[in-house]
Parts: sequence; C-alpha cells; structure tokens
Amino acid sequence: MANLQPSRRRLLAGLGAAGTAALLSGCVTSTSSGKSSSKGDVTLQSNLSAPQAKTAMEDIVAAYGKKGSRHASLNTVAAETFRTQLPTYLTSANPPDVYTWYPGSVANAYARKNLLLDLDEVWNSSPDLKRYSKAQNRLCTSSAGKKVFVPATYYWWGMFYRKSHFAKWGVRELPKSWDDFLDLCDKLKSKGVAPIGLGAGGNTPWVASAWFDYLDIRINGAQYHRELLAGKHRFDDPEVRKVFDRWQEVLPYFDPNGVAIPFQDATTALLNGHTGMMLIGTFFADAAPKSALDDIDFFRFPIVDSKVPLAEEAPVDGYFASARTGRREQVLDLMSYLATAEAQETYIKGSSGTVLPCNPDAKDAGTALVKKGRAHVDSAAEITQFFNRDSSDALQPTADTALTKFLAKPKSIGSILTDWQRDAEKIWNA
Amino acid sequence: MAVLTAPHPKPPVPTPSRGGRARSPRRTPPLVLAFVLIPLLAESVWVFWPALQGFYLALTKWDGVSAPQFIGLDNFREMAHDDVFRSAAVHTVLWLVLFGGLSALLGLAAALLLQQERRGVGFYRAALFLPVVFSLVATALVWQAIYQPDGVLDQLLASVGLDSLRHAWLADQDTALYAVIVPALWRQIGYVMVLYLAGLKGIDPALYEAAKVDGAGAWQRFRHVTLPQLRSVNAVVLSVIVIDSLRSFDVVWSLTRGGPYHSSELLSTYMYSTAFQSLRLGYGSALAVVIFVLAFGVIASYLVRAFREAD
Repeated sequence: MANLQPSRRRLLAGLGAAGTAALLSGCVTSTSSGKSSSKGDVTLQSNLSAPQAKTAMEDIVAAYGKKGSRHASLNTVAAETFRTQLPTYLTSANPPDVYTWYPGSVANAYARKNLLLDLDEVWNSSPDLKRYSKAQNRLCTSSAGKKVFVPATYYWWGMFYRKSHFAKWGVRELPKSWDDFLDLCDKLKSKGVAPIGLGAGGNTPWVASAWFDYLDIRINGAQYHRELLAGKHRFDDPEVRKVFDRWQEVLPYFDPNGVAIPFQDATTALLNGHTGMMLIGTFFADAAPKSALDDIDFFRFPIVDSKVPLAEEAPVDGYFASARTGRREQVLDLMSYLATAEAQETYIKGSSGTVLPCNPDAKDAGTALVKKGRAHVDSAAEITQFFNRDSSDALQPTADTALTKFLAKPKSIGSILTDWQRDAEKIWNA
Repeated sequence: MAVLTAPHPKPPVPTPSRGGRARSPRRTPPLVLAFVLIPLLAESVWVFWPALQGFYLALTKWDGVSAPQFIGLDNFREMAHDDVFRSAAVHTVLWLVLFGGLSALLGLAAALLLQQERRGVGFYRAALFLPVVFSLVATALVWQAIYQPDGVLDQLLASVGLDSLRHAWLADQDTALYAVIVPALWRQIGYVMVLYLAGLKGIDPALYEAAKVDGAGAWQRFRHVTLPQLRSVNAVVLSVIVIDSLRSFDVVWSLTRGGPYHSSELLSTYMYSTAFQSLRLGYGSALAVVIFVLAFGVIASYLVRAFREAD
C-alpha cells in the first residue's frame, strides 16, 4: 500500500489544483467587464426545440454560413428551460449573442432594463426591414423609441374545425355574429357532439387565455385589452365582468373534458370529431397527421359588438440580441440576414409551414389554409399577440388560476376577479 | 495546500487494546484531512454559499433581472396574509401525514411480508422496488394516462359498474391532491421496504426465540421485539420521508402543476412557480427558507429526542 501513496498524493494535488483553478476562473468571470469575447462565431440561442422547427433553424444557420465569411452557431434549448433561464442569460457576464423570442411588451420589459442591443442601425440599413409594415415597426420599437427586435414569422388564432365533419353535421353557413355562433353550438350539440373543445388541462392551462383575450378584444377592444394587461385597468372592473357574462353564455357548450386534457389531446378530439371546433393557434397543426391537414379550416372568432374595431391575435416570433454582446458587428450582420425573405422562406420550408413570413417579399407555404390565414390577419384593424406576450410570462399563471377556476365555478366570478386583481398587483409591483 | 505536506515516514502502528480504551491516534493523517477538506471546499462553493445567498435573497425583492432590493422581513409578512401559501402549507402537512405515514406503514408491512426467504420472494421484492428505479417524471406520465378522462382508471370503474365514480381525477380540486399522492406512494413504498428489510435482517433471531419461549404471540413479538429493534431504522426512514415530502415536487409538477387553482399546491411547487414563473425570486427564496426551517426543525427535533432516548 505504501508505494501507492505518492500517486494518490499526486491525484489529490491534481484535484486541489483543478479546484483552485475552477475557483479562480469563477472569480475572474464574475468580475469581468461584462463583454463576451469578440472572436468566434456569433451564438444564436434558440427555444425552437420541436424537431421540425429545430431542423429549420439549422438550415438557416447553415445558409448564413455559406453566404459570407461570417458564421453563427446554433444552441437549441428546451422551451421551458429557455424561458426560465432567459433573464439569467441576459444578465450574465458572458451572454449568448442572439435569442429567439417575442416582440412587444415582452421585449420592451428587457429593453427598459438596458439588456437588449439597439438595432436601429439594422433597421435603417437593411433594405428588407425598410419594407416591413408599420405595425411590425411599432411592435419592434421599445418604449424609449429604439428598435430592439427583428421579426421573422407570425401565425394566427381562429376557430378551427374539420370541413368534412361540419359537412356531415349539416353546417352550411359559418357564424359571423355571436348569435350565429350560439346557433351553431346548439346545432352541434343536437348532433351529440361537444361543440367547443378547449384543452386547458395538463400542462397547457394557458390555452384558456385565448378565450379571455378574444372576448375582451371583441367586447372592450384591443386598446383596452392591452391597457388592462399593462395594469392600467383592474381585473375586477365592470368591463372585464362583461367578458365573463358572455363567456357564461357559451360555457354549456364546452367539452366537459376541456379542463382535464392538454391542448394536444383536445386537438386529437377535434380531429376525431368528438368536439366540433376549437379556438387555437396554427401551431396545433404541427402534430396533426398530414392526411387531416387538407381537411382543416377555420373561421373568425365571432363579432360580439360590431362597433368595436376588428382585432385578431397574430403572435409574432423573431429575434433580439443581448446588449452585452462583444460581437456587435457580427450580431447586426446576422440580424439583417434573419430579416431577409431568403432566411424566412428557409424556415418555412424546413418547419411545418403553417406560419407566415414577416418579410412582405417572402413566400409562404402557399396552401389554401395559409392564404386564408394571411387575409384573415391583413383584414384586421388591430393585432394583438397573446395574453403572456401582451403582458408578461409572470402574469400568465394568475390568468391560468383565474380562468380554470371560472371554468369550474362560473358562479363565483366575483371573488375570482377580486383574487385575480390581487395576484396581478403582486406581479405588477414586483 | 497544507493538506498535501509529506506524510509521516512510518505511520504509527496502532497497538491492539487489551480490554482498555483504544488509544486515539496522535494526529489525523493528512490524507484523511484531505478527504474531509476538499469535499468540504467543493460543498461550500456549490452548496453552502448559494444556500446562504438564498437566505439573503429571502430579504429582498428581486425579479431576476434588476439588482435585488433589500426589503427586510416584508416577504415573510406577506406570507402571513397569503391564502395560497396557507393552503400550500396545509397540503404539505397533509402530504407529510398521508404520503409519509402511509409509505412508512406500507413499507414496513411489505418488509414484514417479504422478509422470510421463501421461493419467489426475490421477485416480489424486485417488483415492489421497481418503481423506485423509474424517473418520477416518467412515472407521472404513466399516471397521467391512467387518470385522464376515459383513461385506464375510468374504464376500469366503468367495467365494474361504478360509472358514477368516473371522474376527471386531476382536474377536480377535490381529488387532485389525493390523485397525485398515489403515484408518489407507489414509488416510495419500495424504497422504505428496502430500508426496513435491512433493519429486520439485523435483528438477532435469538430475541425471537427467547420471546417464543416466554410464550409471546406473533403480535407481542412484533410489538416488543421487532418495533424496539427497528428504532434506529425508524430514524432513517423518518428523515428520508420528511425530506422527500418537503421536496416532493416532480410528480406534482408533472401531473397538475399545483392546480387546478392551487388545490394540489405544495410549498415546493408554490416556491417554484413563484420564483421561476412569476419571477418573484425574493418571495420564492423566502418560501425556500420556510421549507428549510420546517425540514430542519422536524428532523433535528426527532433526532435529538431519538439520541436522548438511546442514551
């Protein structure tokens, strides 16, 4: 045993040295200037971890690498991890450079804390971005008037159904007004079908927020809705109460399993004809079998008050960059590439193809559904994003609690709204 | 690197004690010191220091982005009026009693049943221990399929004519908490069983023989021989159960995320959602401190009592 001692000692010395080195390097990082290295590839941190979307992002990065001397490296992180880690990434001393994320109030919250790179230069120099719509411009501008976001794609929400099922149930006309909608619900119910699927169970309670968003923008308008989510109105105001009064009218038509199953299962129920229709975004089509895709159609969420300007939910996805990046020039170069029609078409080709490009010159997938979706969004006077995007991820759990409680106990709406306001105040004051 | 100085050229050979107390070594060998100090150093950097920071964060308001703002005990004051915290605390106690109590009882029962070496007993032991091996998240997915509307459980109920009991088990606030305890129990029982099996093996058979000679029945042997002999194992089981109860998170989070509307919320899930979903990291840290104090309090008070009794 004795002759083993020296080697054991050496091992310990090695361990000790390694530990000290780790400690020292930790100290160095924490006191560094807060700039990442200006050498090497620009890093693109992506939350698009679904197989098709991930491949599409790899295609973009590969195409960018082939284009010129500059390269990007893609780092795909699971969506939930990405969301919880994003503040850490942005505040770290050595952050990834570019991130996939959302514009509007979500980006603005980070911009106000000086964590996002000013992209004015890209917006002023890129011939592509100059042609982007005014709405896109506004959405990508922070409250301080700086451009902080480059949009890439968007999708839309609507009442989705299967054409063949509606034909079988004898539905000839699609509803436009709230009364038409209630008639349709009656008709579907008489056929033994649960008229409205939901999917707010499991890990997707946020789906219920779509109903809140739509009823609010149909009754109180998009402007009021955005102000409400920004804390300028109260959730226990009579205007919000009106939203739930309407919602109560359709509650009997909701699938009783709506709060027990996640939206993926609710989608299956819709495709199998157990439910008649569903308010959902086009992302649900990612999991639909190809054979069913041609049979899927949608109609506009019914008009409740014709005096309220028409608004639709059309969440935009795209990119922002860390203000602490050490590769500013490379980041700006990559950003201007991501805004091109080529990059966005590459993404659409590689992914399921149900999203629309933000670049007005880029071609979409060209299917009938996508064409109809584009017209649907274009005809809206106002665009909203979604509950968490128009407010914050932090406010979403308060909505999940309030809305699932309302679905289970619609009569206690008074106390539900009081509690919602109290919970929301904690977030706004945080 | 004082720990790496040259060792004693010839380590002293301990003289065998002759009935008296063993002589304590003159000084601790540097190698032993190193084995203690290096892990301690690593532990203090990766565990103790972040834990201490957690205590400090509990006194701040922090969104994870801006600098933390010191607010003293405000987080704890808020907790006193927080209904969700109160219900999460009640659920945690309920969880501790039901999950902890049942897993100890059923684990002990399983160990007693399977302690004797009979043909095929190894199979049953392995079968009971198997759930421990699965990841809890995978376990949760399987149980989600069992509980979902028209899932295995509902179909089973329908097939035996209990249609009226069919239920959205995880989506009903009256059943969600109990529904999530079952998979947690299913997993824990095998673990507790193994601990008790080890304890039972350590009991001297002569004690049972003596008890039998004295005319003790099966229950009396269990009550007066087995139970007292298992005291040291009980301390381990209790520690494991309390710690596992307070850190029970994955199964609840995977199945219900503490919902519907906080009806299956535990302190651990509330801490996670407050910190990482609502981005109130100061309040989340305060909740973590409460969980720590509870775990530490329960275990320390039990251990102190157990040691006092042992003396």
